[in-house]
Amino acid sequence: MSQRQRLVLLGLAVLVAAVALLVAGTGDGGDDDVIDTRTTATVAETTPAGTTSTSTAPAQPQEAKPRDPAPPTVVVRDGQPVGGVERFRFRKGSTIVLVVRSDAPAHVHLHGYDVLKDVEAGGSARFSVPAKIDGRFEVELEDTATLIAEVEVVP
Amino acid sequence: MRRAAAVVTAGVVLSLVVAAPGWAHGIVGKQDLPIPTWMFGWAAALALIVSFVGLAFGWREPRLAQARERALGRLPQSLEIVTGAIGVFLFGLTVYAGLQGAQNFQTNLAPVMIFITFWVGVALASLVFGDVFSALNPWRAVGRTVGWIARRLGQDVEPLAYPQWLGRWPAAFWLLAFGWLELASQDRNDPSYLATLAMVYAGIQLCGMAVYGERAWTANADGFAVFFRFLGRLAPLRWERGRVALRPPGVGVVGLDTAVRGTTAVVLISIGTTSFDGFSVGSIWNDARQSLETLFRDVGFGGTSPLMLAATVGLLGAIAVVSGFYYLGLAGVRSIDRSRSLGELGRLFAHTLVPIAAAYVFAHYFSLLTADGQAIAPLLSDPLGHGSDLLGTADWTPNLGWISANAIWYIQIAALLAGHITGLILAHDRALELYEDGTTATRSQYWMLAVMVGFTSLALWLLSVGNA
Repeated sequence: MSQRQRLVLLGLAVLVAAVALLVAGTGDGGDDDVIDTRTTATVAETTPAGTTSTSTAPAQPQEAKPRDPAPPTVVVRDGQPVGGVERFRFRKGSTIVLVVRSDAPAHVHLHGYDVLKDVEAGGSARFSVPAKIDGRFEVELEDTATLIAEVEVVP
Repeated sequence: MRRAAAVVTAGVVLSLVVAAPGWAHGIVGKQDLPIPTWMFGWAAALALIVSFVGLAFGWREPRLAQARERALGRLPQSLEIVTGAIGVFLFGLTVYAGLQGAQNFQTNLAPVMIFITFWVGVALASLVFGDVFSALNPWRAVGRTVGWIARRLGQDVEPLAYPQWLGRWPAAFWLLAFGWLELASQDRNDPSYLATLAMVYAGIQLCGMAVYGERAWTANADGFAVFFRFLGRLAPLRWERGRVALRPPGVGVVGLDTAVRGTTAVVLISIGTTSFDGFSVGSIWNDARQSLETLFRDVGFGGTSPLMLAATVGLLGAIAVVSGFYYLGLAGVRSIDRSRSLGELGRLFAHTLVPIAAAYVFAHYFSLLTADGQAIAPLLSDPLGHGSDLLGTADWTPNLGWISANAIWYIQIAALLAGHITGLILAHDRALELYEDGTTATRSQYWMLAVMVGFTSLALWLLSVGNA
């Protein structure tokens, strides 16, 4: 290995490092689709600070109890999820909220967290689990072992 | 066992199709999050940097073959009898649970024992402690006991010479079969199916040992023994007839007799099957799989066969891609070294892939061991799923959150980089052994560097692939 070859190799190493740093510097966060059920709570906490309560308005125009505008929902028809298997992302530390509707009676199992909920025919079940474990978890119909959704908890 | 009566044809195993409910997925409480793209980029860059720097400053004389070992002491030979008995007991328990226990993969001992405790647990233990499987191997223990009894009774027969042309191909075949079972078979979580396969496999091994002698058979034709022995060679501990020696990690694999036919196949199949496991959670495979399944359904296959066939195609494809990549790199080496054939070069560098294979297995499966693998504790108390509590741990629930996703990512990347560096070192040293001319050695090294960086980048990419 000549001195020149050695220098070329080291130069390549430096080049790679430079490129990596450059790309890292211009990269973005990219945290889309994370349903953070903590933020709905914090929003509710900060609104009262802005109200001036001198008027005698009939009812406090405060936000009602914080409710997810549209909870993540899976609709099961004929034992299959409508629209295919969707992946729902949550942030670790928030709450996993998932509503499962089914036309037939079913036992729905959230793996990992090991939560089992029963759904009646035409009814729905709501999962509300603190997202303590990060990872990817399958939601399935226990009897037929059919995957109906995936829950992803990111750090 | 008389030789003549013991000859049995293998290959019955894969034709065993048991009509049973097919569980569509493996034992999963929790699956790993894919590594973030930025982490993948950083790790790949790091691998490149380390490779270039390492090659620039690499040593000039081959030295690994003479690496010094330090004797640590010895353990009594009788310990092997105890470990063998443990292995036989666990094997028997697993088969019994599989056949007689609840036919549910979550409450039966067999699937977790086979796919996690055995496959991943023994593999990772081998990386640290050496070839532990040779001590625990149940069919080997039975075979040796029978042999010992035969010798005592004066009934032993001279074993046939193991055919050279066959080499380690049977082991490669069994690893492929196990990979198929794990990734393509629709009955992979059917406890009685698993128990039956385990018995058939053990039976074949016993016959083989009877005919060709335990040592030759186990070293060549027992897929698990061969694979775990390869991994064990990376460990800092070396066992020889009860004597323990300490050696630098990774060095032991230099002594691997790669001239034995089929050795390269064993490593390539291992990397290929693990790669497919990682690839199969991504969106590219999702689309390809659906097309394949539709194709097979249109041709006429019904039931769950299209899923099995599609996965089989994927598995074989992954092995083909991995092998193709390896030999492509070697073709580059061959352009410099015309005196050797591609196959020869493949064998001469096969040992450099063992740390890569080990890194792949570790990165993909270690969190399975630490998460779902915990289920072995309650299962040992209630192996049949009938409600017993033999050890008092039946109510135990696995703690899936004790390692955070971040920690898992860093551990996976560290393992891949460690495997990468070890592979590079081994390739560097082998090139120095083969080529006295420094220039040729260096040029061959550029090719092997490309191969190693390719494999490591592939592994990192596979870890990030579920991101879609």
